[in-house]
Amino acid sequence: MSETKKRSRVPMAVWQVLLGATFLVTWQMGVSAGVMDKFFFSRPTDIAARVAQMFITGTIWVHLATTLLEAALSFLIGVGAGVIVGFVLARNAFLAALLDPYIRITNAMPRVVLAPIFLLWFGLGIWSKVALGVTVVFFIVFFNTFKGVREVDRVVVNNARMLGASERQLIRHVLIPSALTWIFSSLHISIGFAIIAVVVGEYLGASRGVGYMISQAEGVFDTTGVFAGMVILAGVVLLVGVGVDRMERYLLRWKPEHTDEVKGQVS
Amino acid sequence: MSPPNGAAVRFTNITKSFPGYVAVQGINLDVQAGRFLSVVGPSGCGKSTLLNMAAGLMTPTEGTVEIFGEPLQGINRKAGYMFQQDALLPWKTVIDNILLGLVFQGVEPKLAEERARTWIHRVGLDGFADRYPHQLSGGMRKRVAMAQTWIVDPAIVFMDEPFGALDVHTRLRMESEILSLWAETNKTVMFVTHDLEEAIALSDEVVVLSAGPASRMVGRYEVGLERPRNLIDIKTNPRFVEIYGSIWRDLREEVLKSYERNEKA
Repeated sequence: MSETKKRSRVPMAVWQVLLGATFLVTWQMGVSAGVMDKFFFSRPTDIAARVAQMFITGTIWVHLATTLLEAALSFLIGVGAGVIVGFVLARNAFLAALLDPYIRITNAMPRVVLAPIFLLWFGLGIWSKVALGVTVVFFIVFFNTFKGVREVDRVVVNNARMLGASERQLIRHVLIPSALTWIFSSLHISIGFAIIAVVVGEYLGASRGVGYMISQAEGVFDTTGVFAGMVILAGVVLLVGVGVDRMERYLLRWKPEHTDEVKGQVS
Repeated sequence: MSPPNGAAVRFTNITKSFPGYVAVQGINLDVQAGRFLSVVGPSGCGKSTLLNMAAGLMTPTEGTVEIFGEPLQGINRKAGYMFQQDALLPWKTVIDNILLGLVFQGVEPKLAEERARTWIHRVGLDGFADRYPHQLSGGMRKRVAMAQTWIVDPAIVFMDEPFGALDVHTRLRMESEILSLWAETNKTVMFVTHDLEEAIALSDEVVVLSAGPASRMVGRYEVGLERPRNLIDIKTNPRFVEIYGSIWRDLREEVLKSYERNEKA
């Protein structure tokens, strides 16, 4: 069966490359032929050259490092807080009921509108971006952890209790592993969102970062620069996603294989 | 060690109601220490509820449960429980599942692993120690569950239709294995099933519950078949046929009632 899979996989990769190539070639030719305005659309070759130049001259590193640091901090803080609060509320029905409306209200608020207030509070440095990223990551992870702990199989819990598990052992051996599936499915999304949030923050006010770079390019109508920033961001998100994938595959190795198929479609 | 009444589990005037309905009502039942007792009844008659109360996973609305003469509070620490559904921890390997109870007791990891290995061998799972539950067949998962329950050496074992989901042949094998495990010890077993043949084949004593809601106890029967039993041939044994006939006369009515109620509902 794996052989048929392999055989059908090669042509699919070819098709995929072909689709991408067609898109880029059409774009390139459309601009070169004057059908699309170079001022607004730039050209794939120009964009590629700009990306390469940024890496060669090294101007990109300070921006990339800033953005990645901000994203990493908001990711870590958001995940940490989300997991802890998710666990506490899932284990404490009173608190969960008490906070429920406020969590809903806070979550209903579009995060972007918080950016100006965070700029005022935390200044133009990295912390205003981290704060924005945390508000995004926290809720995604919190809801998933909460759900993961709540939806743990009753029978498995009862079995562990009959085998003599204390509350702490129950959390460690049953609740955390069970919630991990949910938490992980949220990590994929939240990494992407963390980067988006900090880039938006940089875009609105910063002195370095990929978002700042894009906004600078936009300020001088440098379309190529804007696209180059987008390409770099997309590449980074993809790379980080592969890392999370690897970690997930290791930590969730006890799961039946069929989850792989779903993953393949998403990433 | 055994209290004067000799009951491992004693239900006194047990009633359990859930919002909007009564599951079991006025149950008085002793499970004598060291015996294999089965509870049968039509589906939805509250058999599992009874077991869950004895295990301390549920508290009765009225009445008391005593374990070896002492009122039960919280989880029943003297009992193991084999569940109807898959209750293994899917994120733990076979061996980690089996030694779980020992880990909870704080047994030294090396010793726990050693004991788990002997159990793996005992339930015929050599070579499968590092597999995860989803990589095993239904019968193998039940063997793991058996070892997991038995390794902590509980004085009482509750079983809630543990083999219901298995095919006939696997089921017969598992039943024989349970019997031989039980014969080596002096554990008290309380076994719930809707299958009267299974109940008689395994037990010393069979208790019949009436159709739910508000099930009562309809009768108790001594099985009186000699041990060790050969489960393959037991169903043609004249005594088996006789006791089956007499229990079925009572059970039949309850099953019919439960059909009627289901049709009305």
